[in-house]
Amino acid sequence: MHEPWWITIPKALIVINVVMVFFALTTWLERKLLGRMQNRYGPNRAGPKGLLVPIADLLKLIRKEAFAPIAAKQPLYIIAPVVSMFTALLAFSVLPFGAGWTVWGHRINGAVVNVPISLILIFALGSVGIYGFIVGGWASESKYSILGSMRTCAQLVSYEVSLALSVLGVVLMGQSLNLQAIVDKQQATLWFFIPQFVGLCVFMLGGVAETSRPPFDLPEADTELVAGYHTEYSGMRWGIFQAAEYINMLTLSGLCVTLFFDGYHFPWVHSLDKFGPIWFVLKLFTLVALFIWLRASQPRLRYDQLMRFGWKVLLPVATANALITALLVVAVS
Amino acid sequence: MADFLVWVVWFVAAFACLASALAVVSFSNPFYSALSLIGNLASLAVLFLLLSGEFVAAGQLLVYGGAVMVMFLFVIAYLGDRTGESPWSGGPSWQIVGAVLAGGAILAEVCVVVGMQAGGFLTKPQHITRAFGSPEAIGRLFLTDHLIAFEVTSIVLLVAAVGGVVLGSHARKIEGDART
Repeated sequence: MHEPWWITIPKALIVINVVMVFFALTTWLERKLLGRMQNRYGPNRAGPKGLLVPIADLLKLIRKEAFAPIAAKQPLYIIAPVVSMFTALLAFSVLPFGAGWTVWGHRINGAVVNVPISLILIFALGSVGIYGFIVGGWASESKYSILGSMRTCAQLVSYEVSLALSVLGVVLMGQSLNLQAIVDKQQATLWFFIPQFVGLCVFMLGGVAETSRPPFDLPEADTELVAGYHTEYSGMRWGIFQAAEYINMLTLSGLCVTLFFDGYHFPWVHSLDKFGPIWFVLKLFTLVALFIWLRASQPRLRYDQLMRFGWKVLLPVATANALITALLVVAVS
Repeated sequence: MADFLVWVVWFVAAFACLASALAVVSFSNPFYSALSLIGNLASLAVLFLLLSGEFVAAGQLLVYGGAVMVMFLFVIAYLGDRTGESPWSGGPSWQIVGAVLAGGAILAEVCVVVGMQAGGFLTKPQHITRAFGSPEAIGRLFLTDHLIAFEVTSIVLLVAAVGGVVLGSHARKIEGDART
């Protein structure tokens, strides 16, 4: 049974708003977890357990004056954060979060859109989203911003290759570029993080670098570059950049859950699959907690270490993994 | 209705394609030219989508719109602002010859296509199966009908990579000699 076309619109609205709420929750979770890992309380004043801190942040950012440097290249300076945010939110639309339901005789699919090449679409949107960061830094006409942009360029191009290659093993085993088909294949065989453990490791490391999270936060290394490409941004424009970064991290975690941890399925008990979104979100936030743990425990890499690690360690490992997987898949079938 | 929508999308994409192509050669700041080129590649991707080539469209966006253009922007921003240098002053004369030849070739192509359209050669619609434009179909074409072109391209890329390494090590050697 096909889904009626108009269901996509409310579904997209719901998913976008839920993702925005998750973004707010992630900032709270990050500050709380970092606090606990550093033996302090973290936010605990606004609301129970400091849960209203993201709302307070939002109100502060919106009311703050959004000034721009007088030399900034105006249209680009304003459009840049919007581009990043747009692609970040758009990428979430192809992630399958449930098996699909039938409500009042209407079929509802478990993803906003289901396209045959959803995996490539996520990567394509990610590579377009990079422009927001690069152009934003370039358009603010500041040395720190430009250096941040340059680092974004170099780092993201280097690690995108490894990230794409690490996924190739999963694509070969799932025999599809469609995320839904990959999830179904894992349900029929086994979760891909077992045979593709090397791929998972490369994907996670490449993912941390791709989202510019510590210890790979060279583009905005605050001890060297003030704040990197968003040095000259303030108020909600800065907030939109921040939101785009966090949503990219959520999308990447969601992609990792989908590719390696069987997406929205509950292990073994099939009758619980209709609560798919709950398991999806639980798995997703486990990975987000891992990202935060990395930030709390690892020092930032030096720039040459970052490049050497990307090209001389991660890329050969990812290539070897893809090659060996291809050989094994051909040998078995 | 669907036909009308396709026509509207085609019109917008084709217009954006031409406008951004003009912008690439009109801006004096190379950074804006590169951004226009990204717009041009993106509107080309939309045209591919209209031709049921989803995979090619996504590849266009990922490889050219994404990775390649990021390197362009990197180099342009790295070299800094050079708007003072006019591209027209002091260029070698073969550039003009090349430009005229390329322009003539495009004009000839446009004439041929318009002529074929007028002669009724392009009106016969081709039957498109569901698999058309899917990664499987494209992969099969690469490894059967277009194998030689595919392999030659990989050799060309290998030559380019080796050339890059040689140039890089040469520059490093000169730098080392200058230092000692």
